[in-house]
Amino acid sequence: MESDVLLEMQGITKTFPGVKALDSASLRVSRGEIHGLVGENGAGKSTIIKVLAGVYQRDSGSVRINGKQPEPLTPASVHDAGVRFIHQELHLVPHFTVAESVFMGQELAGAFGLKRRLMRERAETFLKEALQANIPGNALIRDLGVAERKLVQIARALVDGKASLVVFDEPTAPLDSGESEQVFTAIRQLKSRGISMIYVSHYLAEITALCDSVTVFRNGSTVSVLEQVEANSTDTIIQAMVGRDIDALYPEKSHAVGGAFFSVGGLTDGQRLQPLDLTINRGEIMGVAGLIGSGREEFIDTLYGVRAAHAGSISLAGNVVNIRSPSEAVAAGIVLVPRDRRHDGLVLDMAVSDNINLATLEAVSVAGLEHRRKATERADDIAATLDIRPRNVNAVARYFSGGNQQKVVLARWLITQSRLFILDEPTVGVDIGAKVEIYQLVENLVAEGASVLVSSSDPGELLGLCDRIAVMYRGALVDVLEHDELSMDNLISMTTAGIPRAAEA
Amino acid sequence: MAVAPAAIFLLLLVYLGVTAPNLLELSTLSLILQQSIPTAIVCMGLASVVMAGGDDVVSGGIDLSIPATAVLAAAIIADQLVNHGSGLAVALMLGMGAALLMGVLNAVLVVTIGMTPLLATLASSVAAVGITKVVTSSRRINVDHPLIVFLRDAQFHGISVAVLLTAMLALIFYVALHRTRWGMHLQAVGGSRDAAEVSGISPKRLMAHSFLIAAVAGALASVFLLARGSGSTPGSEENLLLEMVLATFLGAAFSPRRVVTLWGAVLGAVLVSLLSVGFKSIGVDVFWTGCIKGALILLVVASAAYSNKQRR
Repeated sequence: MESDVLLEMQGITKTFPGVKALDSASLRVSRGEIHGLVGENGAGKSTIIKVLAGVYQRDSGSVRINGKQPEPLTPASVHDAGVRFIHQELHLVPHFTVAESVFMGQELAGAFGLKRRLMRERAETFLKEALQANIPGNALIRDLGVAERKLVQIARALVDGKASLVVFDEPTAPLDSGESEQVFTAIRQLKSRGISMIYVSHYLAEITALCDSVTVFRNGSTVSVLEQVEANSTDTIIQAMVGRDIDALYPEKSHAVGGAFFSVGGLTDGQRLQPLDLTINRGEIMGVAGLIGSGREEFIDTLYGVRAAHAGSISLAGNVVNIRSPSEAVAAGIVLVPRDRRHDGLVLDMAVSDNINLATLEAVSVAGLEHRRKATERADDIAATLDIRPRNVNAVARYFSGGNQQKVVLARWLITQSRLFILDEPTVGVDIGAKVEIYQLVENLVAEGASVLVSSSDPGELLGLCDRIAVMYRGALVDVLEHDELSMDNLISMTTAGIPRAAEA
Repeated sequence: MAVAPAAIFLLLLVYLGVTAPNLLELSTLSLILQQSIPTAIVCMGLASVVMAGGDDVVSGGIDLSIPATAVLAAAIIADQLVNHGSGLAVALMLGMGAALLMGVLNAVLVVTIGMTPLLATLASSVAAVGITKVVTSSRRINVDHPLIVFLRDAQFHGISVAVLLTAMLALIFYVALHRTRWGMHLQAVGGSRDAAEVSGISPKRLMAHSFLIAAVAGALASVFLLARGSGSTPGSEENLLLEMVLATFLGAAFSPRRVVTLWGAVLGAVLVSLLSVGFKSIGVDVFWTGCIKGALILLVVASAAYSNKQRR
């Protein structure tokens, strides 16, 4: 007799050097259900999926698929057991046809070569019957919309008809609402064909709409399992996800906020980013929250002139400024500490001193030539102020820790006397000690009258640091949380469901 | 934009057809086909490498060493036949063996060590040219071996046997690259290495295959080079390289998906020969011909880069 349980993962522990990514976590999926898997970034969702996929080998625990225990778990043995993964990335070749993409790696061929017509017919039939999508088999991938490409990716995983469990990792992240609906239709159709699914997503609205049951992860463990998911389960899920107080990492918000200083009106890149209005006051820390695909990155890039603005205006201290490139932004007094400091923020093989002076070489130049001693002295001064360790400005930036590299980038802009600092994911890959120092630095900046815009995927960081938080969802600014509305519940429900805050809040 | 090179090319051909009236006569065309054989064969090799490595000119697949490999193999074969009195089998084995070693070297440099194909094959090309000079002392070697004469002169129902053999070779390449699972895997690797990998295809193995196939193409081209020139001519790799790159990427402009394909590359090779012969027949200086070909390469590669940028 077949048991009701299709997948049973128990007591899974996985340790990476210095980090316990999974601590005796469990996950159980019943036959024929859509099972949601949620948790904040770093809660262990992707780790347990990778353990299931055979990409990571678990330290301990057991995995049963369909009553069997495939040992060892390898990508091949898991595939044979009927488990398929729909990764976030599409992994498609733009100039391949739909049929070629669906059958990539599993082409049908006979003695006379590829059976092109058969593959095309099968691909079209599968897309129509299993995913309810009418996509011609000879269309090129590059001519399809994003949702259709997603469906092609799904078809590739399932077309052999041997799948019993499909794992979706954030399938709708790059999609807008209409496109998401197309993918949901396909998922529901698969369910009606008896296929079980694990649905990993940050969008709680999707979880409650699609899933039959939900497992919540926090800090590498399973903290809650909801057997019955209803529309109003969101609150329960959020509580389970968060379940902690904001630690004492953050400085006291003692700075005074002044009048309006920086504002954008109707700013859009003409693509992902919907027209957006936002005002930041003098001496204020404004946060920007939003999931991957919320338009947060596009907003920051457009502000800084990395992406071309399609329409809209930016004004600074009442004057309209025209920003078409990062150098114009810097000239206007707007500086960016980018999210990927190793690639965009630092010249890794240059000395710390050179990195610090990079944007202000005129100030340490004599007759157009860099005055090396002046440059080193100035860099050393700021390194002392920021406590950059080790305090050797002639050392090469590559060998500094993440936190200290971040301080080097900050130091470059601090000496420019800029007035608006944009920090994009300022503490990703930074240890706790350096985090606290960076937060204190930000607090000092605004105390001196500068304004700061912090874009972050860590809700705790935003709540602990910011005076107000702008929340983005699927390319649009949903709302701005005022100082007295800052709470984890408000923030998470707005970022994950895109609804403006409750009226009474 | 992607079709601009094709359009300009066709305009040039029309111009040549009008100014050099006997260019499009049957006898001239047959000569042109014969002239284009070595280029067409090395183009088949390059097409395999580009299809497996992707058409990004800098980071994608490219093998600049195929012409030098072909000339090296031709030199060894000629040297063995003429100067050492070796038999045909021994000469062919040594020449083609050397070519295959070049393929293995390229595969190791790119796939195992991880060098950029452009640099790795440029270096091995320079090495091959050097060895050719050592073997031949930079001198021309005339070959009148019956096989070479046969490949140069033999006709079957009025059609050059060499052309027929090349057409068969192109058919074999076409079936392998476009009509088999292996060929689809090769193209998948070139289209997106990550996509191929998650589909259970090994990109490294297929990229290594492509360099070996390129070397085989170089080895086969060598006998036709000997036939075309009635012997081995050191230095002929230069023009061959120019024509190979031009023809292969020009072929992409003719393909419906704007990517490098086998037929595109072969068609490109024929058109490039047509152009060379055409220029010669209306009396354009040889140096200017090189200049025009260089400009055309720039145009072809630039328009490919530009349309890639547009797509992004």
